[in-house]
Parts: sequence; structure tokens; C-alpha cells
Amino acid sequence: MHLNCVVNGEPRQVDNVWPGESLLYTLRERMGLPGSKNACEQGECGSCTVYLDEVPVCACLVPAGQAQGRRVRTVEGLAEATQLDPVQRAFLEAGAVQCGFCTPGLIITVHDLLRRNPRPTDEDIREALAGNLCRCTGYEKILDAVRLAAAESEVR
Amino acid sequence: MTTRMIGEPIPRREDPRLVTGQGRYLDDLGAGALQVAFVRSPHAHARIVDIDVTDALDVDGLVAIYTYEDLAAADEAGSSHLSEPLPLLIPHPDLTHPRTAYPLARDEVNHVGEPVVMVVATDRYVAEDVCDRIRVNYEVLPAVVGLDAAIEATHLVHPDIPGNIGAHMVQERGDARAAIAAAPHRLELDLEIERSASMPMEGRGVYARWDADDRTLRVYTSTQAATSVRAAIAAKLAVPIDRVEVIAPDVGGGFGVKVVHPWPEEVLIPWAAMRLGREVKWTEDRREHFISSAHERGQKQKVRVGFDDDGRLLGMEFQVWHDHGAYTPYGLIVPIITTTQVLGPYKPGAYRGEFWSLYTNTVIVTPYRGAGRPQGCFAMERTMDAIADYLGLDRTVVRERNFIQPEEMPYDHGLVFQDGRGLVYDSGNYPALLDKLKALVGWDSFAEYAEQARAEGRRVGIGLACYVEGTGVGPYEGAHVRVETTGEVVVATGLTTQGQGHQTMLAQIVADELGVPVERVTVTTGDTRRFKYAVGTFASRTAVMSGNAAALAARKVRAKALRIASEALEVDPSDLEIVDGVVRVRGVPSSPGAKTEIPLSTVAVLSNPLRYAFDAEAARATQFAVGGSSEEPPVAEDDEPGLEAVDYYSPPRSTFAAGMHAAIVETDPETAEIKVLRYCVVHDCGNLINPRIVEGQIHGGVAQGVGGALYERMVYDSAGQLLNASFMDFLMPYASEVPTVETDHLQTPSPLNPLGVKGAGEAGVIPAAAVFASAISDAEGFAITRMPISPSELFELRERFAAGEIPPLRSRSGHISGEGRFVRAKEDSR
Amino acid sequence: MEFLAPTTWQDALAAKAEYPDAVPVAGGTDVMVGINSGRLRPSALLDLGRVTDLTDWGLDGGYLRLGAAVPYRRIIEELKDKAPGLGMAARTVGSPQIRNRGTIGGNLGTGSPAGDCHPPLLVCDAVIELASVRGVRRIPVTEFFLGPKRTAVAPDELIAAVLVPPADGPQQFAKVGTRNAMVIAVCSFALALTPERGWVRAAIGSAGPVPTRAYTAEQFLTEALQQDGFASRSGRGDVALPESVVRRFGELVAAAASPIDDVRGTAAYRRHALSVLAQRTLRWAWESYRGRGDRCT
Repeated sequence: MHLNCVVNGEPRQVDNVWPGESLLYTLRERMGLPGSKNACEQGECGSCTVYLDEVPVCACLVPAGQAQGRRVRTVEGLAEATQLDPVQRAFLEAGAVQCGFCTPGLIITVHDLLRRNPRPTDEDIREALAGNLCRCTGYEKILDAVRLAAAESEVR
Repeated sequence: MTTRMIGEPIPRREDPRLVTGQGRYLDDLGAGALQVAFVRSPHAHARIVDIDVTDALDVDGLVAIYTYEDLAAADEAGSSHLSEPLPLLIPHPDLTHPRTAYPLARDEVNHVGEPVVMVVATDRYVAEDVCDRIRVNYEVLPAVVGLDAAIEATHLVHPDIPGNIGAHMVQERGDARAAIAAAPHRLELDLEIERSASMPMEGRGVYARWDADDRTLRVYTSTQAATSVRAAIAAKLAVPIDRVEVIAPDVGGGFGVKVVHPWPEEVLIPWAAMRLGREVKWTEDRREHFISSAHERGQKQKVRVGFDDDGRLLGMEFQVWHDHGAYTPYGLIVPIITTTQVLGPYKPGAYRGEFWSLYTNTVIVTPYRGAGRPQGCFAMERTMDAIADYLGLDRTVVRERNFIQPEEMPYDHGLVFQDGRGLVYDSGNYPALLDKLKALVGWDSFAEYAEQARAEGRRVGIGLACYVEGTGVGPYEGAHVRVETTGEVVVATGLTTQGQGHQTMLAQIVADELGVPVERVTVTTGDTRRFKYAVGTFASRTAVMSGNAAALAARKVRAKALRIASEALEVDPSDLEIVDGVVRVRGVPSSPGAKTEIPLSTVAVLSNPLRYAFDAEAARATQFAVGGSSEEPPVAEDDEPGLEAVDYYSPPRSTFAAGMHAAIVETDPETAEIKVLRYCVVHDCGNLINPRIVEGQIHGGVAQGVGGALYERMVYDSAGQLLNASFMDFLMPYASEVPTVETDHLQTPSPLNPLGVKGAGEAGVIPAAAVFASAISDAEGFAITRMPISPSELFELRERFAAGEIPPLRSRSGHISGEGRFVRAKEDSR
Repeated sequence: MEFLAPTTWQDALAAKAEYPDAVPVAGGTDVMVGINSGRLRPSALLDLGRVTDLTDWGLDGGYLRLGAAVPYRRIIEELKDKAPGLGMAARTVGSPQIRNRGTIGGNLGTGSPAGDCHPPLLVCDAVIELASVRGVRRIPVTEFFLGPKRTAVAPDELIAAVLVPPADGPQQFAKVGTRNAMVIAVCSFALALTPERGWVRAAIGSAGPVPTRAYTAEQFLTEALQQDGFASRSGRGDVALPESVVRRFGELVAAAASPIDDVRGTAAYRRHALSVLAQRTLRWAWESYRGRGDRCT
């Protein structure tokens, strides 16, 4: 089947989409956007988190056909040209990245959290992040990054 | 002045790519490559009767189906060695009955998940549909699952290996049994640790390209040991090794599982690529990772100790039954580490360590972060708590009394460590670490807090554990450092990186040694095109091994730069320094263009006499541009062109890092849910290169420790099916489970290496199970002897405790007094 | 495999009639797990995400009507006052990403014994509306679950809506899991209390082949409240429940479960934990009724 949707602001059309395939597969294998990662294919790890119509979802659990006519935003579409998003900058500055495999999904999750709740408590942060597995960092520096991004956006 | 980089918590060089989705991991490569899926054994133990592929042949997009017979035929037709078992990577004289798997099962399968048929197709969906249509007929054999069944040996995993025993090994210093028998007090503990696994977010994966014209094989693999994979592929596929390139791209975590090699897939995928003349790729899915890669931890242990009235260990006997799964490719590394590192910071009068490494029909067991140390630490620290309880002493006091003292360093345990070298601690200050830990967690005031909590109907407990970790094992690593004519510095080391920030850490070292800004240093790891001699990333060894190698190579480059500059500036090299990438005369203010300084980029140009000019810099080094004597060769006899050097670091033995953790937990009196209130770490890994990276390593290790203690386990049924082979039921901690980790550092430099560093990668995970067992025991009033522990299990223990089946502890935090014993001292029947 | 994407409810029902083995998909949080693993290969996927009738809630007679494709996130944000027990349960489902997508209809349709929404629906006497080209029928939620992953939905039917009577007293939901977040319940429990009318509803999840009401426990508590005059308005505000009543209630709830041993916990632990959850939720609900507790619904 065909799929038309807007990905990172650009209208995209892909053909020969298998009806059972996930949006994650379509993004990675058919659209050349491998930034979103595949680590469990069952919505447990959050590595594939993308915005679908500005709502964060696990792309592995979205049938590609459901993206028809919708807007998708991935980690590749977060930075404006060469200007990193404040969340991306905070991840850099706080040392919140180790292997980086879970990072794209976490960045979308954090981006969404701070849009909804610009001044989250630690409890808010832990709850918001509780759909993204990270095996490297122990989350401590990711929490630092969220606090940092929140503080910086407050300054602006 | 160039800011000194070593010791600075600078942001990582790797991250701008990774936060923008530009990281390139294995599955991000090879768009358009053929895809592989495997038919894997659904049985834990079975004979393969017949493989029928008829129904699969007409699937659109199918390219090839391979079974063991194809490997055998290929071996016969050519000179490959794929029909032989995979290599035994680390042989050991006590591994009397080693066994490794065939790349594709030959006649028998020995665990669920063992590869039987390889399918190559145009995409993964097609490959999997083909797999579904292939019928393998099995004759199911009795499965040996769990250590009890392995020990009992009613059934055998391999019919020719009696008692399921792969290895039996004893190491002894002094006469431990006699020392225990003669001791005033004795205790005996039976302990158990269940299986867990590394479980990196990225599974394994291999992508191979064969260039038939160039006769070159390039293999990308998500590995911790690129150079060794290269050697294995060259040997197995009979390709000259200089025609094989192996590259570890961005790797999404390893934690040990990716140091095993060659995985069957690492030889099969390149083989298929060569055979088909096409690019071929395989990416492991999560279920495959659970049932086809490797696990660790599973052990049963028995500790017998004799001690004096002060709690000093006079003798210790430690027996371990180690479940190594179906095969032994990684030898005895894990149980050797358990039975040596069990000693931690202590010095028992006499010690006897003994293990049986046993076959079961389960996934292989190979090192997972900590690699046998968490089990050893668990045994020793449970023992320390037991002694403290028996004697009515504070748990920290008993530990203190058994510590090796700083002035006793280097301390020789008289045992052989996992690297075949002596177990000799190089440096450390354990009393100071304990003091720091007690202060950090507030050990002495906890009883008051516990009393208060108890009055409110809450159950809280405190626990601690100490460990010593042999890090930076040999034999060697090397590094290449080159200054380009642009002034950029490129560094390569052969070992690999899986997210530890090696590129940043090594850049900091080289920047300091050379006197260049860290931004100008670029580091490559795990690419055999760039560096061919290496061992791999494991045992917390990168900072120690490649760090020191990079420092040594950079020193050589620096010496050469100073020599060339001294000739150009006509000053003695000893009067020169390198600051911000400029060689200049010491004490003379910077003045670009003056005869007192010369940029490293120019030095690099001068180091390479040229015939041809291709840019302005090069023009300065061509034959009519440079002066000098026309009698001397442009490159002196003992010199080489280029501003570069290679050097290696090879230590006599491991360096020993140490640390101590404490936790405060609360257990729900009704639901038995366990909550971590605080987690404190003091840590000594010698000099810190990048404190932020070290902290990240500690945090990550603790998180895996929390997982291993409270959530993660591998649940096999008696038929050998893994019941929780997904992230839904193998419960790794989220941000909602991992506590804030409070840390403090001590820096006792290693005297063994130029940088004075020790490894830090595994430390965080080692004591966690022991710490939580200690804290939960304290909260509950009876000893926890088996980890991990779930609310369901704690509830069961409470029931047994209430029924009098488990003895109470004599003393608990916040309780005035108690009665009974940790474990009843048994009379020695011998 | 076909991908059917109707935009009207009539088209959806027609599609389901034509392809009875089409698997309906809304949030995808269960269906796609099956497809990704290769376990599920239906002839067609029936996307309900574009049927706007299903994605809204409103009032319907005396009921709160939730379209089957209303996601957990909206239940939490918009309905936590109107359907408090359901709101609490929705909050414990999966992760934020799952709650953004997963729907109440999907939770019902999967029919897992561990479905978090089931116990609260059982205690508020919810009604499930099923529809097909043959017509519409409404069944009480107690008749919906037939066995593990088996429900009363006929092959040509779709779940249209869940009808929830408005809460007229405190409701509670609690679950025990091995992990804090993103965890399948070891066991779960919901309670609705309307002491004015002297009745109690209690339901158990993840401790038997289907989520189930604890009728004996309900009856015991109802009688205890009536006999001892707790339910009378005059007693409001100053009467604590006797511990013996609370404990007995817990015991009877535990006795109503038929749990098994599995990787998440033993049957004995599940019974024990259910008794604890029953007692806790009863105390909270009672406190809430008395207008004192901070866990007021």
C-alpha cells in the first residue's frame, strides 16, 4: 500500500508498505531515518519514541497505515538547522548519553515532558521517563539533563 | 596555558552525533543488504532427525537456505572450517571437558535458541516467513535445567561428559580446612544467585560485504573485540587476514555479552556474503538476544569459615557450583574470578576456593559486567554479616578488622587470577574508604532513624558491602597517534567502545601529553583498518590499557615534535614546551611567526620530506623548499617520515580498584514490596581522567545492580524454556526504580602504570546484590541468602520465618536485642 | 494482509462483517506486539483510529459513555472525577507512550486477565456496547470476560463503547507489581463504596482466568455496614471501621481469587497481596467517605 505523511516537516510518500509493518520500520527502512531505534518491538523500551501528530508514541506499535495523512517528528527533526534543541544541548552538557541507543527516544520523551510541564518535579520526571529503558546511565545524568533543560528554558 | 584535561569533567566528544539521531549502529548500516533470519531450536535438548525445506522454497524473495550440511560441503570444496566447532577461546588445564557449538547445529541441539538453519532473503519479514515454513523434525531428549539437575546428573547434557562437569578447580593458600577446624568459632552458609544478563539496548548484529574483485571482506559487527573477530573470520573462512577488515560501528552497549566471539552469526554472515556475492546483514531481535546470546551469574555457593572472638577470619573454604550453560567458549573466566575476587579487601588466614563448572541445557554463560565478582562479593559480604551477627558486633567493625592495611600493599594473596598472573593487589586504602562510606550514609546514626521508623510502623534496614576489583588485565593494548599537517591529531586504538566515552577519555590523555586542545584530537576505536593489534574491551581495562598506550604513543610523538622543532628553532629540545598546539621556547611570551615558536602543524609538515606539493603546507616540505645538508638523507637512518608513533602498554598484572556501597531500604510490612531509600557509593579507581564519565559508569553499574538484586532473573521451566524472554517480564529498572546515587571518591593511584589509573567500568554493579541482601536482612530480622529477591519471595521468606524455619538475626538496626543466629554453626562432620 | 481504514462507524461494521477475522486496531499497543513478534498474522487489520464516534466520550442517558478508542491518557486527564476508579487504573497502565495510544476498548478486546481497567469497570457495573451490521447489544461487563483472552465479542462485532454509571461514592484501585512502572499486575483490586445505599462492589484482577467480582466479600461488607449502622447518614463523619471488619473483608477477597504461580509471583503471594490491597483500599475509601482522607476521590 501507499503511505503519505509529513515527516519532520516534509511531505513523504512511500510505496509497497506491508500493511502489518510498523511506523518504525517504515521510518528506518523506507524513509532513510534510522535515528529512532528498535530495541524490543513491544513498546517496553521507548527507544523508538516519535511524535505522531505531536503526541509521543512508540513507533514500533503504530501500524504504518495509521500514519496516513499525519505528521511525524523524529529525533532527526528536532534540531533547527545546526541549532540543537535545548533538550539535546542539555543531554550534551549533563553527560546524559553513554551508548546513545536509547537517547533518541528519551530526547523526544523529555521534549514532550517539558512542553507539557516546564517545571517538573523529580517525581514528575521519573514518571515521565518510565517508558524509556536505558541500560547504561542509571538515569541519574538524564535527570540532570531534564533539570538543566527546564532551568534553561525558564531563563529564556 | 593549555588547561590540563586529565581530571576534567568535559562533555563527551561523541555526543553531538548521538543526540541528533546521527549515530550509526549496526542495524543502521547496509540499507539494501540481504537479510538473514535463523530457525532456532525450540527444544532445550534434542536430536535433529530431519530438516524439510520443501514448503519454503517457493517463497518470493528467498535467496538461500543453509544447514550444517552446507557448511560441511563448503569445507570439503574449499578450505573453510565452518563444519568444525567454534573455537574454545580461553583454554585452561582444569577445563577438562570443554565443548563448543557448531555454527549451525550438527546432530544435536543443546539449548532453546541454538541456530539450526540460516535463511537469506530480500528482507527480514520474508526471511522469517521462510523460517516458519521450514520443518525440523526433532527427537526430544531429557533436558538438564538448573544447577540441582546438573549436579544430580540423572541426565547428561553431553553424553560423553560425566556428571555434567566441565571443570573442577581448586586453589588454596595455607590449610584452610585445618584452620577452620581449629578456630574458636565456625559458620557455614549456603547461598544462591540466579541468572541475569547483560541485556544491552542494542542486540548483536553483523553486516558483511565481500568485494570479489579486490578479494576483500569487510565485516561490521556489534562487538567488543574487533581484532579478534577479524582473526576468527580469517581462520574460519580461510581468507588471508590482511584481506579482512572488521569494524565495530557505534555499539549500543555491551556489558560483556559482545566480547564473546566469534558468535556463529559472525562467521556465517560473512560466509554467506562471500558465497552469494551480495551484501548480507543480520540483526538480532530481542527474543533472539534472550535465548541465543549469553547469560551470567547463576551459582550455588557454600561458605565455611572459622574466626576468632574479634571476628578475624582464620580460615575460609568457598565452594561454588557454577552453571555455564550448554557450551564453554569463554572457558573458566567467570568462576575463576568468583573464587579469587571473593577475597575482596580481606585477608583470611587460610583460603581454599573450589568450583565445579557444570553443563546445563540453557544459553551459554559468559561474562556480564562484574563477571563473577558480584557472586564472590555476595558470598564474602554475607559471611561478614553472619560473623558480625554471631558475635554481636557492628557489621563495619568485623570488616575493618579483616581489612588488608594500606601499608601491606602490594598484597599477595598467593593465588592465580583470571589473567594467569598472581593475585597481587597493587594499592588501596580500605579503612579510608569505609570511613568515607560511614560518613556518607550516616552509618552510626541509622539505629536511631530505624527505631523511629519502627515506631511509625515502618520497616527499614541498612546494609553495606565492600569489594576489590582486578581491572585492566593484559596482555596489552596499543595506540597510534599522528599529528596531521592541519594540526589535527588522530588517535586510534584497537579495542572497541560501547558507550563508555572512550573517544573523549583518550582524547583528554593525548591532549595533555601532546599539549594540544582536546577539540583537535579525534579518536577511533574498534576499526581494524586503523589499528590491528588489540585484545578487546572487558574487565574495566580501556582507561588502563589503551589509556596508557595512548599516553606512551603521544609521548613519543611529543619527543619527535620537540626534536624537529628544536632543529627548526635552533634551540635545545629541553628548552621547548608545547602549548595549545604550538611548540615554543619556555618562558618566552607567545608571538606567532617569531623564531621562538612553531605550530605542530608545521612540525608535521617538516617531518615528512616531500617531492610533490598538493597544498601550501606541503609546498614547504618539498625538495627545493627545504634547506639542510645535501649529503644527509632527507629521512635520517634511524628516523621515519611523519609525526606519528605507535606504542603499547603491557602490564605485569592487573591493577586493583576498590569500593564500598551502602543502601537503606524500606520493606512494606504487608505487601513485602522493597523500596530503596538511599544508595551510597565510595569508589577508588586511582587517578580520574574524566570524573563525569566515571560517575556515569558508577551510576549505570548501580542501576544494573539494582536490577540484578530486585527485578531481573532468567526463569526457565523444567523443559528448558525461558519463560520471561521479553522486556515485559524480564524487568529492567526504569527511572522510576533506580535511586539517586550519592558518591564520594578516593584516589589511590596505581603504581603499575604511567597514568596511575585503575578501571571503573564494572565497579557499580559488583556489590549491589550483597548490599541489598544486607539491608533487607537488617529490615526483616532474618538472613537473606538468595538473590535476586522479589516481593513474592520476601513474602514467602516471612512465612517461613514466622513458622520458625528460618532463624532470627541476633541484632538489627533499631532493635535493642534479639536472639538466635544468622545461620546455625554446624559441627564439622569430618 | 490488508489494511482496512474506514472513516465511519457504518463502514467499520461493514468491514468487520466482510472480514470476520480482521483484527481491530486502535492504539496498536497489543496488536502490534503480536504482529512484530510474528505470533499474529491476521488476514486484515481494521484501523479504528479514524472513526471519530469511537474517540469521544459524553453523556448517554444516565451513563458516561466512553467511545472504545478513547485512550488512557484522556481517561486520566478528563475523566478522573467522573470515573475515579477507572482513572486510577488508567494511570497505572504501561508507560506515558502506551497511555497516549492504548484505549479502553483495546484493553477489553484483548481480554487479558491482567487488564488494568477491568476491575474498576466491574465495580461500577459498567455496560459494554457491542455492535455489528446485525445491530447493537449491551451486556454487563460481568458477562464480557469468558476466559483468558476470550471475550463475548462475536466475530462480526466491534466494541463500540463502554457505559459507566456516574460514581456516587468513593472508588479505589490498587495493584501490586514487581516494578514501580510499566509492569503487568501481579494482582490488582478495585473497590466502589456507596454506603448510603449500603452496597459494595469489589473486583479482582490478575489473579484468575478472568477478572472477577468478589461477591462474598461484597455481601459481608454490605451486611456489616448495614447491621452496625455505618451506612446511615447520621453516623457519617465520626465512625471508624472496626479492624475486624476490614480484616475479614480482606480475607474474603483473597478467598475469591483463583490465582496461579507464575514468573510474576506465587499464588499464595497473590492471595496475600489481594487481602492487603482490599484492606488498604477499604480504609482509603472509608476515609474518603468520612471526608477526612487525603486520598479522597
